[in-house]
Amino acid sequence: MTLLGSGIFKGMAVTFRNFVGSYFHRERLPTNDYSWRTEGSLPQHAGDYPKEEGEQLRDTTTVTNYSRNFPMLLHDGSEPMDTIRCVACQICERSCPPQCIYIEKSTEKKEDSSGKMQFYPATFDIDVSVCMSCQICVEVCPFDAIVMNSQFELSTPNRFGGLLLHQGDLLKSNDYYHKIHPEEAAARDKRIADEKTAKEAKKKAAAEAAKKKAEAKAGAETEAGDEKKEVAE
Amino acid sequence: MNEVVAFWILSVIAVFGALVAVRKRNLIHGVFALLVFFAGLSGLFLLLLAEFIAAVQVLVYIGAVGILLLFAIMLTERVTGDDDRRVTSRGWFWGLVVTAAVFVVLLLPAIQQLPPPKAAQTIDPSVKELGHKLMNPYVVTLEVLALLLTAALIGAVTAAQGVRMPKEEDSPE
Amino acid sequence: MSLEPLTLTDILIATVPLMLIFATLFAFTTWLERKALARIQNRIGPNKVGIPCTRIGLFGLGQPAADGIKMIFKEDIVPRGADRLFHLLAPILALIPAMLVLCFLPLNFPWIKNIQGLVKPFMLDGAVIFFFAITGLNTLAVFMAGWASRNKYSLLGGIRAVAQMVSYEIPLVLSAVIVVMMVGSLNAAEIVKEQADEYWFILSPWGFTAFVIFFIAALAETNRSPFDLPEAESEIIAGYFTEYSGFKFALFFLGEYIAMFAISGLAVTLFLGGGDGPGVTMNPEDQGLATEAFPGLSAVWFLAKIFALIAVMIWLRGTLPRLRVDQLMGFAWKFMLPLSILNILVAGFAWHAEQLDNTIITVITWVISFAVLYGAASGLNQLNRGKVRPREYKYAE
Repeated sequence: MTLLGSGIFKGMAVTFRNFVGSYFHRERLPTNDYSWRTEGSLPQHAGDYPKEEGEQLRDTTTVTNYSRNFPMLLHDGSEPMDTIRCVACQICERSCPPQCIYIEKSTEKKEDSSGKMQFYPATFDIDVSVCMSCQICVEVCPFDAIVMNSQFELSTPNRFGGLLLHQGDLLKSNDYYHKIHPEEAAARDKRIADEKTAKEAKKKAAAEAAKKKAEAKAGAETEAGDEKKEVAE
Repeated sequence: MNEVVAFWILSVIAVFGALVAVRKRNLIHGVFALLVFFAGLSGLFLLLLAEFIAAVQVLVYIGAVGILLLFAIMLTERVTGDDDRRVTSRGWFWGLVVTAAVFVVLLLPAIQQLPPPKAAQTIDPSVKELGHKLMNPYVVTLEVLALLLTAALIGAVTAAQGVRMPKEEDSPE
Repeated sequence: MSLEPLTLTDILIATVPLMLIFATLFAFTTWLERKALARIQNRIGPNKVGIPCTRIGLFGLGQPAADGIKMIFKEDIVPRGADRLFHLLAPILALIPAMLVLCFLPLNFPWIKNIQGLVKPFMLDGAVIFFFAITGLNTLAVFMAGWASRNKYSLLGGIRAVAQMVSYEIPLVLSAVIVVMMVGSLNAAEIVKEQADEYWFILSPWGFTAFVIFFIAALAETNRSPFDLPEAESEIIAGYFTEYSGFKFALFFLGEYIAMFAISGLAVTLFLGGGDGPGVTMNPEDQGLATEAFPGLSAVWFLAKIFALIAVMIWLRGTLPRLRVDQLMGFAWKFMLPLSILNILVAGFAWHAEQLDNTIITVITWVISFAVLYGAASGLNQLNRGKVRPREYKYAE
């Protein structure tokens, strides 16, 4: 039997370690560090925000590895829409607690990066003014298509729809993912590869088993046929 | 002199609270006015150096009875009546007579300048004395009261739980 | 007790510094809490607001002032259909009892030495019972705020608060009863004196149990996490002060923190020896005041102990998640109440054992009572342990 109330003390020990540790280890503080910017380099006009600067690597690489805020969609190749991983299954849309994801499924199928015919999202919008960065969409996605971006400074002069990110804003390459979250991306890629090999091995085994079964069935049928003949005689 | 001023302030608060409690159609307002009356009464006890009684007045009447009243009102419909409609009653005349009679009876000692009753003369309102009285001569009374209240409590719980009807389908499993 | 006529100066000397000191401590505590919570979550916390018009941050110590200025200048919104009078009265009613009970704490400030009579209310024979009586008024304020706002969430928060406060007041008072039993007095100064002479009550098994029960119940009474259900923002927005803004909200906030100080102060008085400490000698004959190494040392000890308790409260807030409503009620009625009643019995036996004045018997009593209380607590814990179902995921594996 454990000591009464020991769970509370265990939790308190954890928070105490955080409390003390945050004074001695700077890497414990995952907050954005703006000290890299020289004084006065903050954009003066809201419209000058670096949102147009593509991948925003200049900003996102300055934050720590564990920083995350809003989701992004992954694609594998050079042409984003042709290699998009998302198949518009809408699981993330349904499991999103604040319901900030809006997906419209395409009407016809298209080849994805592995050459398989798949649906794709005709519209994929995330309202980041509603998103609460809970990462549930990432947890539930069976296709590893949605992951967290570390992009920040999303301020926009447009109050209506300025924070509604469309498919174009959301699509990022897997290489970018590797740049901002190296460990997580490597682990994810490894898992996908493992699953793929496992699936192929299983498929092979299943095919062989089916083959054997078919052979056995054929044998059995001939035997049965012989028996019938005997009965008939 | 100070005590007289304090007495009048507290009396006005108490009477005002009582009047509002009677006149208000809005039940929640009425209850809070009643609590104001209790608070004024507690202040009057304090003025008589009966600090324990004053504390108990606050603890029991404001803390417990007030909350109980509020809970009871929450469970009723139509909490807010309109204040415009005057409270009228056909028996107002007899009510007034009874009130006046009680008032006069209460005032009699003051009018006739009678000495206060014997018990009031000897009583020492300190907490220590009260505790000794409760634990020595009146301990049986106290215990009986405690038992009665416990019985009432258990009875209330039982009543609140309702009668459990045995279901016919339920076979002993 | 002699009742000499009080001058207005006496009254002002006794009350005004008390209110000023605790209001200042309130400002400091809000800063402390934000800083500590931030560090617990590996953040920095407020660090920008320091000296105005400069970039000197002073660790964000100017934050409370900035918050105060913001609160005062915010628009005061009263919802349509709300009870305007009660909406105004509720925050005031929340602050008054909290401020009022501060005077029952046996704080030996040097400047009250020469004041006579009732102005030192902690010398009242019923100081402890007065404390509980007046703390109970806080419930009414919360209910008033919830009802007057004309908002579902406010009302839910108010009802939750009332249910919670009424439930937790019972273990709170029952654990204080033990101290009153041991000392034989409701007088705060005498309780402190007894502890200075014998031992701080937290050091005995029943005293420790009572202190833990008292502290948990105090957390619930002041709506602190993990018992902050009346203001559970993930469930009912902000509970009873959903519809409050600006200065009224600030008053609620102030009242809540002052109540925290007050109830911590009572815990210090009852279990942690009050203003007792190195360099302080208690002598109740002298109006419950103390002989100190330098004036105000006793008050410094008292405030230091209060702050130790407040620090634990902040620490707990950073650690524990909020309870569910059924867990909250079950904990009060099925765990705390039986344990505190048993504790009264144990303390009664222990008191009689101590009257024998025999060291061996006392030690044996302490060991036995510790075993009984720990066993009872574990047993109750086992009895109340519900079945925990694994979490069901709807879409994920």
